[in-house]
Amino acid sequence: MIWHIAKRELYDNLNSLRFALATVLLLGLMLTNAVVHLREHPTRLQKYHDGVAEYQNRLKSYAAESLYKLAQKGPGDLYKKPSGLHFCAAGGETFLPADAEGGYGRWGLGGEPPLESFWILWYPSVTPNLANVRPDVTKVDWGFIIGYVLSLIALLFTFDSISRERERGTLRLMLANSIPRHTVLIGKFLGALISVSIPFTLAVLINLLVISTSSHVHLGAEVWGRLGIILLITLLYTCLFLVLGLLVSARVQRSAVSLVILLLAWVTLVVFMPNTLAAIAGGSSSSEAALGFSERSDQIHDELWREYASHRYNSGKSWPQKLEAAGEYVTKDAAQQERLHEERLKQRISQVNRARTLARISPVTIFQHLLESFAGTGFERHLQFLENVKSYAQQFRTFTVDTDNADAESLHIFGVREGMSQKPVSPEAIPKFEDTLSLSKDFNTAAIDLLLLMLFVIVLLSGAYLAFVRVEV
Amino acid sequence: MFKTLIGRELLNNLMTFRFAAAVFIMLLLVVANTVVLIEDYDRRLAGYNTAVKTHQRQLHAKKTYSGGTSKLVVARPPNPLSIFNVGFDKRLGNEVSVSHTLVPSLWDARMHGSDNPFMDMFASIDIVFIFEVILSLLALIFAYDTLAGEYEQGTLRLVLTHSVRRGHILLAKYISAMLCLLVPLLMSLLLAMILLTTSSVISLNADDFLRIGGVIWASVAYLSVFYLIGMLISGMARRTSTALMLSMFVWGFLVLVYPNMILAVSPQPKAPQTRTASAFNQIEQMWEEFDRERKHFLATDAFPGEEWDFGIKGWGGLYAYSWDNPSKLLYTYESAMEFRDLGEQYATEIPHTQNYFRFLGPRVINTAERTWLIRKPALEDIFIHPANVERIWLKLSPAGLYDAATQAWVGTDVLGIRDFFHAARQHRQRVINYFHDKKVFGSQQWFTTDEGAADWGSLPQFSFQRLDVNTNAKRALPDVCILLMINIVLFVIIFLIFIKSEV
Repeated sequence: MIWHIAKRELYDNLNSLRFALATVLLLGLMLTNAVVHLREHPTRLQKYHDGVAEYQNRLKSYAAESLYKLAQKGPGDLYKKPSGLHFCAAGGETFLPADAEGGYGRWGLGGEPPLESFWILWYPSVTPNLANVRPDVTKVDWGFIIGYVLSLIALLFTFDSISRERERGTLRLMLANSIPRHTVLIGKFLGALISVSIPFTLAVLINLLVISTSSHVHLGAEVWGRLGIILLITLLYTCLFLVLGLLVSARVQRSAVSLVILLLAWVTLVVFMPNTLAAIAGGSSSSEAALGFSERSDQIHDELWREYASHRYNSGKSWPQKLEAAGEYVTKDAAQQERLHEERLKQRISQVNRARTLARISPVTIFQHLLESFAGTGFERHLQFLENVKSYAQQFRTFTVDTDNADAESLHIFGVREGMSQKPVSPEAIPKFEDTLSLSKDFNTAAIDLLLLMLFVIVLLSGAYLAFVRVEV
Repeated sequence: MFKTLIGRELLNNLMTFRFAAAVFIMLLLVVANTVVLIEDYDRRLAGYNTAVKTHQRQLHAKKTYSGGTSKLVVARPPNPLSIFNVGFDKRLGNEVSVSHTLVPSLWDARMHGSDNPFMDMFASIDIVFIFEVILSLLALIFAYDTLAGEYEQGTLRLVLTHSVRRGHILLAKYISAMLCLLVPLLMSLLLAMILLTTSSVISLNADDFLRIGGVIWASVAYLSVFYLIGMLISGMARRTSTALMLSMFVWGFLVLVYPNMILAVSPQPKAPQTRTASAFNQIEQMWEEFDRERKHFLATDAFPGEEWDFGIKGWGGLYAYSWDNPSKLLYTYESAMEFRDLGEQYATEIPHTQNYFRFLGPRVINTAERTWLIRKPALEDIFIHPANVERIWLKLSPAGLYDAATQAWVGTDVLGIRDFFHAARQHRQRVINYFHDKKVFGSQQWFTTDEGAADWGSLPQFSFQRLDVNTNAKRALPDVCILLMINIVLFVIIFLIFIKSEV
C-alpha cells in the first residue's frame, strides 16, 4: 500500500511544473559547478606541486651545506594538499592559508660568536579581500546547491502534499479506506523523496561525468567512497526538509499558509541563522590583547636579549661558556616566538570554533560542516593540516638533534654554528613532509554533526507523525 | 469606485496570515541583526581609534623626519551606515601610508587592528541583505494569487460586470498591496532607526538621514519590481498553484542562484598580462633613472666616496632599499637615517648629508608622482574595469541593482572607499607642502637630533569626511532609475495582458 501511495505521488509530481523547473535549475547549477572546478582545479594543483618542489629543493640545498644550516633555516613553506573534492565544498578555503611556514630569518647578529635566529613554525594569514574590488559572491559548490537550492526544492515538493488533499477532500476519501495513517504519511514521504531525487541524481551524474572526463582530475577509490558518504548525507539532509514540509502541511489547513510558514522558516534557518549566529558568537570576545602582537613579540625578545647580553659581553666568561649561553639564547628565543605564534593561532581557532558551534543550530550549517569534513576542505581540514605540520616540525627537530648527536666532532651546543656539526646531511635521510587526509579522522570530527542531523530528522519525523495522526480531516 | 476597490484589496491583504507572518519575521530578523551589527560597528570603531592612537604614538617615537616618514599612516574610519549595506567597508584595506615616497592607492592599503582573518569565512549580513531576500519573497507571496485567485474564484468576472475600468482594478491591487508591504518594511526600518539613534556609538548627521531616505526609496522600488513580477506571473498563469510554483522558482533564480552563478559562468575578464608588464616596466625604468641620478650626485658632490651614509656611525640606524610588487605595479625607494647627537665629530660630514637629502627628497617625490601618472590608469585597467564588467553582469538581476544602489547611497561601494584614498593622497600632498615650507628635507632634523628632535606636533592632521549626500545620490541614481524603469515596463506589460485577457 505504501508503494501504491508513493507511486501515485511520484506520477503526480513527474508531470508537474515544479519537477521540470527543479530539473532545469539543478542541471544548470551542477554544470556550472563542474565547469568552474575544471577551470580552477589545475591551477590549485600546480600551485601545490610548485610549492612542494620548492620545499624539497630548499631542503636539499641546506642539507648539502651543513647540518647547522639545515637546523637554522628549517624546512621552509609546508603546503596543504588540495582536495580533489573541492567542488563539493569550497569551505571558505580562500580565507584559509594554503601553507604554514617553517622558518624565516628574524634577526642576525655580528660579533663573537656570530648568531642567526633559528627557524620557527608560524602561520601566515591570508586576507584575499584586502585589495579585491570584485563583487563578493558565494561559491557555487555542492554545499550551496544542496544546502540552499535543493532544500528549497524539497519544501516546494511537500508543502501541499497533505494540505492540498485536505482542501480538495481527497484525503478524507483516502482515509475512509482501511489504510493506517502512518502508511499514508510514509507513502507520501517516499513519493516526494523519489521525486526530488530524480532531478538531483540526474544533475549529480552529469556533474561527475563532466568532471571525470578531465585529465587533471583523478577520482580514485577513496574519493568515490567519500562521494558515496556525501550523497548519503545529502539524502539525510533532503529528508529533513521533506519531513519539515510534511509536518507543516499536516498541521495547516490551507496550502498557501503552509507555504508561507515553510518559506519564512527556510529563509530564517538557511539564509540568516548561520551568519547571524556566527556573528554573535564570533564577536562575543575580542580575539587579541590590547598590546599588538609584534610589540609583545619584541618585548619578550628584548627581555631575553638583556639576560643574554650580560653573558655575551662579560669578559670573565670563557669561550665554551659563551657558546653555551649563545646556544641557549638562540634556542630559547625560537621556542618563545613559536609559542607566541601558536598562542595567537589557538585564540583565533577557538574564536572560529565558538562561532561554528553556535551556528550548528541551523541545519544548513551542519550539512555544510559535514560536507567539508568528507570533501577534505574547510576549517576542520585546516586544523588537521596544522596538526600534521606540528608533528612534522617535531620530527624535523628531533632529526637535527639526533644527527648532531651522532657526529663525534660536534660540540653538541645547539643553536650556534661553532657548536654544531658542520658536515653535510644526506638529503634522503631528512624526514619529508607529506600532508595526508584520513577518512577515519574525518569521521571523528563529523560524528557530532552527523548525529545532530539525524536527531533533527527523527524529531521532525515523529513530529510529523504525531501531527498527522491527531489531525482532524 | 476606485476607493472601494482599494479598500477591498487592503482588507483582503491585511487580514491574512501571510501579512502577520511577514511583519513578524521582518521585525525579528531586522532587530536581531541590527543589534549584532551595531556591536560589530562598535568593535570596528574601537579598532579604528586604537589604530589612530598607535600611529600617533609610533610617529612621535621617531626623532628624525626621515625615520618618521614610514610611520605617516592614515586610517579609514568605519562607515556607520555600513549597518545598512556593508559593501566593501569591512573588506578593503583601512589604513595606508602617506609617506612622500609613494602616492597611496587602494592597492597599497593594509588592514589595521586586532582582526581574526579566519572570521572572514563567515559572510556578514546587513539590513539590505535581509530586505533583498525577505522583501522579494514577501512581494511574490502577496502577488501570486492577486489575479490568478480572482480568475479561479470567478470574482473578477463579478467585479467587471460593474462599470469599472480594468486599469483601475490593476492600479487598486497594486497600490493596496504596496501599502501592505510597506508596513513591514517601514516598521522594521523604524525599529532599526530607534536602535541606531539610541545607541551611544553611532552618531548620524542630517546627510545620513537623507542617505537612509535614499535606501528606503531604493527598497520600495525593489519591492515594487518583485510585486509586479509576481503580478505578471499571476496574470499569465491564471491558476494559483502554477503561479505560486513559477513565482517561487523565479525568486530562487533571481535572488539565490543568478547572483552567485553568473560570475562563474560569465566570460572571465582576462587579466591583461601585457598591460601589467609594460606599465611596471615603465615604472621600473623611472626609478632606475632616479637611482642613476642619485649615484651621479653622490659621485660628483664635494665629499669623497660614493657612500650615501658618508661614513657616519653613531647611536641610531639607517636603511635604504627599493622594493617592488609587479602584480600591484608597486615600486618604491625608501631611505631613512636616524642618529642621536652626532656632535662635533661629524662636523664636516653633516653639511654633505644635508645636501644629499636636500637633493634626494624632491627627487623621490617627483619620481613617485611621475610613476603614479602611469600607475593610476594601469591599475584602473587591470583591476577596476574587469570588476565593473562583473558588476554589470550582476545588475541583470533586480537584487544586484538593489544592492548596487544601496551601496552607492550609503557610500560603501568601491567609489565610496576610493574617496578615502583620494583624501589620503590630498593629505600626502599637504604633508609634502608642510615639509617644503619648513625646509625639512635639507634640515639636520631629517637625519639627526643634533638640532633637536623632529617636530611632529604641527604636522597637518588627517580626518576623513565622507563626501556629501549629493555625490551618493549621483552615484546611486542610475541604478535606482533602472529599477524604476523596470517597474514601469512591467506595469505596462501587465496592463496590456490584463486588458486583452478574457475573464
